[in-house]
Amino acid sequence: MSQRRSWLVVVLMVSVIALSAAPAVAQTRFVFANESPYDTMDPHAAFDVGRVAVRLNLYDGLYRWLDNPPKLEPWLAESHTVSPDGLVYTFKLRRGAKFHDGTEITGEDVRYSMERILAMKKGAAALLSTMVAPNTTKALDKSTVQFTLTKPASIFLAVVPEVHVVNAALLKKHEKDNDWGAAWLTSNDAGSGSYLLSRYDPAVGFIAKRFAGHFMPWGPKFIDEIEFRLVKEDNTRVLGMIKGDYQGTGGYLPNDQVKRLREAPNVKIIEQESMRIMMFQVNNQRAPLTDVNVRRAISYAFDYDGFNKEILGGTVERNPVPIPNNLWGVPKDVKGYTYDIDRAKAELAKAKTKVDRPLTVGYLQGFSQTEQAATVMANGLRKAGIETKLVSELWPAMVERMKKPETSPDLVVYWISTYYADPNNWIGEMFHSGQWGTFKASSFYKNPKVDDLLDTALKSTDKKVREKAYQDAARIVVEDAAGVWIYNTKYFGPWAKTLEGIRFSPIGNGQEMRWVYYAK
Amino acid sequence: MSGAWFVLARVARDRSALLGLVLILGLVVVAVGAPLFATHPEDVFELHPAKRLRAPSAEAWLGTDRMGSDIYSRLLFGARITIVIGVIAVGASLIIGVPVGLVAGYYQNWFSDLLMRVSDVFLAVPQVVLAIAIAQTLGPSLPNVILALSVTYWPWFARIVYAETRSLQKEVFIESTAALGASPWRLTALHVLPNIVSPIIVRASIGMGFTILTAAALGFLGLGPPPPTPEWGRTIAEAREFLPDAWWYALAPGLAIFLTVMGFNLLGDGLRDVLDPRLRRGRSAPDG
Amino acid sequence: MRLLALALHRLLWFVPTLLGLLVVTFVISRVIPADPVALVAGETATPAQVDALRHQLGYDRPLPVQFVGYVGHLLRGDLGTSLYTTRPIADDLAARLPATIELTLVAMVVSVVVGIPLGVLCAVWRNSLLDHALRVVTVSGLAIASFWLGIMLQLLFAMRLGWTPLNGRLTGFPPHGITGLLLVDSVLTWDGAAFGNALAHLALPAATLAVPALATLVRFTRAGVLDVMQSNFVLYERAMGLPRSVIVWKYVLRNALTSTVTQLGLLFGILLAGAVVTEAVFDWPGIGTYAVNSIIRSDYNAVMGFTVWAGAIFILVNLLVDVAHTLIDPRERTV
Repeated sequence: MSQRRSWLVVVLMVSVIALSAAPAVAQTRFVFANESPYDTMDPHAAFDVGRVAVRLNLYDGLYRWLDNPPKLEPWLAESHTVSPDGLVYTFKLRRGAKFHDGTEITGEDVRYSMERILAMKKGAAALLSTMVAPNTTKALDKSTVQFTLTKPASIFLAVVPEVHVVNAALLKKHEKDNDWGAAWLTSNDAGSGSYLLSRYDPAVGFIAKRFAGHFMPWGPKFIDEIEFRLVKEDNTRVLGMIKGDYQGTGGYLPNDQVKRLREAPNVKIIEQESMRIMMFQVNNQRAPLTDVNVRRAISYAFDYDGFNKEILGGTVERNPVPIPNNLWGVPKDVKGYTYDIDRAKAELAKAKTKVDRPLTVGYLQGFSQTEQAATVMANGLRKAGIETKLVSELWPAMVERMKKPETSPDLVVYWISTYYADPNNWIGEMFHSGQWGTFKASSFYKNPKVDDLLDTALKSTDKKVREKAYQDAARIVVEDAAGVWIYNTKYFGPWAKTLEGIRFSPIGNGQEMRWVYYAK
Repeated sequence: MSGAWFVLARVARDRSALLGLVLILGLVVVAVGAPLFATHPEDVFELHPAKRLRAPSAEAWLGTDRMGSDIYSRLLFGARITIVIGVIAVGASLIIGVPVGLVAGYYQNWFSDLLMRVSDVFLAVPQVVLAIAIAQTLGPSLPNVILALSVTYWPWFARIVYAETRSLQKEVFIESTAALGASPWRLTALHVLPNIVSPIIVRASIGMGFTILTAAALGFLGLGPPPPTPEWGRTIAEAREFLPDAWWYALAPGLAIFLTVMGFNLLGDGLRDVLDPRLRRGRSAPDG
Repeated sequence: MRLLALALHRLLWFVPTLLGLLVVTFVISRVIPADPVALVAGETATPAQVDALRHQLGYDRPLPVQFVGYVGHLLRGDLGTSLYTTRPIADDLAARLPATIELTLVAMVVSVVVGIPLGVLCAVWRNSLLDHALRVVTVSGLAIASFWLGIMLQLLFAMRLGWTPLNGRLTGFPPHGITGLLLVDSVLTWDGAAFGNALAHLALPAATLAVPALATLVRFTRAGVLDVMQSNFVLYERAMGLPRSVIVWKYVLRNALTSTVTQLGLLFGILLAGAVVTEAVFDWPGIGTYAVNSIIRSDYNAVMGFTVWAGAIFILVNLLVDVAHTLIDPRERTV
C-alpha cells in the first residue's frame, strides 16, 4: 500500500476506536449550585441544612419528612409501634429494599447505623444521645428493629428520619482503627438512596446517578444524573441560573437577587412559607444582661420593620416568639416587642444594673445579612444610649465561642433552621437549661418553670398537652426578653422553568431530586 | 530651610509630581474638613433603610448604600481613616526601620548581618499575608491594622538606610572624620543622616501609597475596622453583592483609593527624580 | 571561585533566615485566641474530649518542645496535618499549587511579552506621545487596588457583557489531571471544551494580576534601556556610525537584560503577593486562598506549612536571582 493509503487506514481505525470509546451521554442532567462545600459524603458526620442534598438523595431513613406543612411518611420502615410506657419503639422494615451494591437492607444495618451515629458523636448524635443509649438498640430479625429510649421523648419520631441507614457489611470491610469506616465513607457511598455516588471532589461537589433499583417506584419521567456543586458567591449562582448553567440553587437569597431571578425568562421562583428563624441570642448570664429591664431595652432597640420590610424587601415575616409562626405551639395573643427607643430608654432607667461598658454584638463572617442585622442593632442601641462593639467569626468559631457563657459574645445573630418539625427544635433546645453548650442554647437561660414546661412537653405524647406547655413557655420567655426574635423566613426557590415535581419541605428545602423531572 | 523650598520649586516644575501634590493636599483638605464638605455628616452612624441603594441624585451625590446612608459623606469620613492609617503606619515603620538600618550599616559585623537577616525574614513572606495573619490574630480593629502594616513595612526603610549608610562608610570624608576621632553619634548626626534624608523621604512617599493599598485590602477581607466605620476597602466589600445594579456603590470608594495612591506615587516619583536620580537604577528601590 | 563563595555565603544565611521565619510564625500561630483543637473536635464534643484530643495531638506540651518537634518533622518533609481538612498539609499545598502556578505563569507571560517591548519602545521614543501616555498608564496601574480592579473587570466583562465567567477556575469537574495545570491537561487529553473553559476563567484573574507587574516591568525596562543608551559605550558606537536599531537590538537589550533578570525576582514577589488578594476576589482555588482561609480558620498547622513553603521559595528565588545577576554582569562579581 502507498504511504498515503496506510495513513488513511490508520486515521480511520483511530477515529473508529475513538468514537466507540466515547462515553454515552446521560439523558437528563440537573446541576444545583450550593453555597456551602460538601466536605464529606458521610451522612452521620453532618446534620446541617447546607449539605442536606447528600443525605436526601444518597441515603434513606426509616421515615421521611415530606411536603409543606411537613408530614412524616413511611420510608424504609412500613410502620412502627410504641410500648405503653413510651420507651420502646419497634419498626417494621419493608421487604426487598436494597443497598446500591445490591445487598438487602436488614434490621442489623439499622441497628449498626444508630450505634454508628452515637459512637461518632457528630451530626444528629447530640440530639439522639439524649434519647438513646449506646448498645441498647436491637435487631429483632431481618426486618424488625427496636429502639429503647432512656426516657419517654415525644420528639423521637420526629428525629428518626435523621438515622440514615448505612451498609453495615460494606463499612465493616473498610474499617480502620475502629473508625466505623469514617475515613472511607468521607469520599464514598454506603447508601441505598434514589441516587448513587459516581464522582466526588470536596473542592467541587458531587455527581450521582439514578439508582433504578430503589424501593420507591420511579415515575415515568426522572432525572438520570444529578450534580451538586459548590458555588460560593450569590452573584455567581444568580448569573449561572440566568444563563442556564444551573437548574436550581438555594432559596434564601437576598431580596435584590430574587427580583433579578424573577425577571429571567428561564427561571421560576417557588415561594413557600418555611421555618427558619433569625434571632439575636442574648447572653442571659453576663451582666448587665442578667437584668430583665436591660434585656427588654435591647428588644425595643431593634428596628424590626426597617430590617424586615426595607432591607429585606418584605420577603420575611416578623416572628416575635421563638417558635415559627406557622407551627403549632405559638401563643397567638403574644405581640412581642416593637421598635421604640423611648420605651428602651425607659426600661434602662428602670434597670437596677447599669450598662457601663460596650456590648459585644457577634455576627457571622461571610453572611452579610447577619452583618447588616448587627449594624441595625448597634444603631438602635446607640440611640438608646448603649455603645456596642461588633465582632465577627466564622460559623464554626462562633459555635465554639457559644459553648460557654464566658466566651460567648453579649449578643449573637444567626438562624435556626428546621432540623425536625417540632417546637422543641426551637424553643425547647434554645431555652432549656440542660441544653447549655449547644449552639442553639447560647442564651444561657435558666428558669426552672420553663424547664418544667419544656420537660412536660417532651415527655407527653398528647398534642394538646404539648401545645399548651409550649405556649406557656413562650409567654414566659418573651416576657423575660430572653432573646430578640426577628423574622421567619420565606423560601424563594429558583428553579429552571422546565422542571416539574419539586416537593418542598422546610427540612430538605426541595433538594430531593427523585420526584423531579423535565416537563416537555 | 532653603533646601526644602528648592526641592519644592523643582517638584512644582514637574507637572505629574505637581498633580500628585495637588491630589494629596486635596485628600488632606477633604479629610480634615469632612464635617463641612459632607452633605449628610450624620450618616457615618445613621441608617435610613427606606432609602437604601438609591442611584446618585441631588440629595445623595454618589447614591446611598445598603443601609440607606449617603455614600459621598461616608467616603469623606473614610478619607480620615485612610490618612490616619497611612501616616501612623509609615511613621512607625520609619521609626523602627531607620535606626535598624543605621546601626547595621555602621557596624559592619555579624550583628549587622543578623539585623539584615531579620528584616529578610519579614520580607520573605508576602507582606499581605503577614499583615492578614497579624490582623486576624489580634482581631479586626483600627489600631491592629496600623500595627500589622508597620510590622510588615519597616524592613524597606531598614534596607534603604543600610545600603546608603554602607556606601557612605566608604566615602573618604567619613573615614577621615572617623580617623580624626569623631564619635559614632556625631558622625551619624552630622554626616550620615543628612545624606540619607532624601531616600527616606522618597521611600516614605511611595510607602504611603503601598500602605494604603494594603490597608484597603485588609478592610476588603473584613480584617479592618469593624462596621459602621466607613473604611474604603470595607465599603467595596459591602458593595459587591449589589452588583451589577448599584455599580456606583463599588465604583466610588475604588476611585477614591486610586486618586489617593496615585497622588502619593506621583509625588514620590517626582521627589525621586529631583532628590536623587541615582536611585532610579537601584535594585533596592522598587515600587511597593 | 567567587561565584561559589557568593552562593555559599547566601546559602549559609538561608537556614537561619528560614528558621527565624519559622519562629515568628510559630509564635504568632500559638498565640491565637481561638482554640482550633476544639474546632476540630466538633460542635458536640465535651471539654474532656477536647482535652483528650489536645493531648493526642501533642499541643499541651511546652512551646519550645513543640517547636523542636515541628522542625524535626520538617526535616523529614512532613509539613504537618491541617486541623481543618485533616489531610497532610503537603498534600493540600500540592493539590492547590498548580492553580496558583498556572495563574501566575499566565500573568507573568502576559506582563513580559507586553511589558518589555513597550518599555523598550518608550525608552527609544523618549518623550513621545506613546511615552507620556504609557507613563500615565503605568502610574495608574500601580495605584489601583487590585481587588477593586478585579471586581470592576467582573462587573464589565462578566456581568454586563457576559464575555467571561464570573469567577472560579472551571465550570464543573476538571479533566482528569496529569499536571494539574488545566490548560496543559486539556491539551494533553485533547479536550477542546475544557481548554476554552479554563482559558475563559483565566482571562480576568490573569489580567488583574498582570496589571501591577506590567506597569513595573514597563517602567524598569524603560529606565534600564535609557541608562544603557546614555552610557559611554553606546555613545561610542553611535559616534562610530552604527545605525540606531542595531545598537538597540545588539547592545542595549543585552545590557538591559541584567536589570530585567533582577526584576524577574521582584516580579515574582509582586505576583505572589498579588495572587493572594486576586485569588480571594475570583474564588481561585490556589495557595493564596488556602493561606487566607487557614489564617481566618486559625488552622495554625496550615499557616505554618504555608509560611515555610512560601518563605523557602521566596528566599530561594532571591538567591537564584542574585546568582544569575552575578553570572550575567561581570561588574558585579565582587562580593
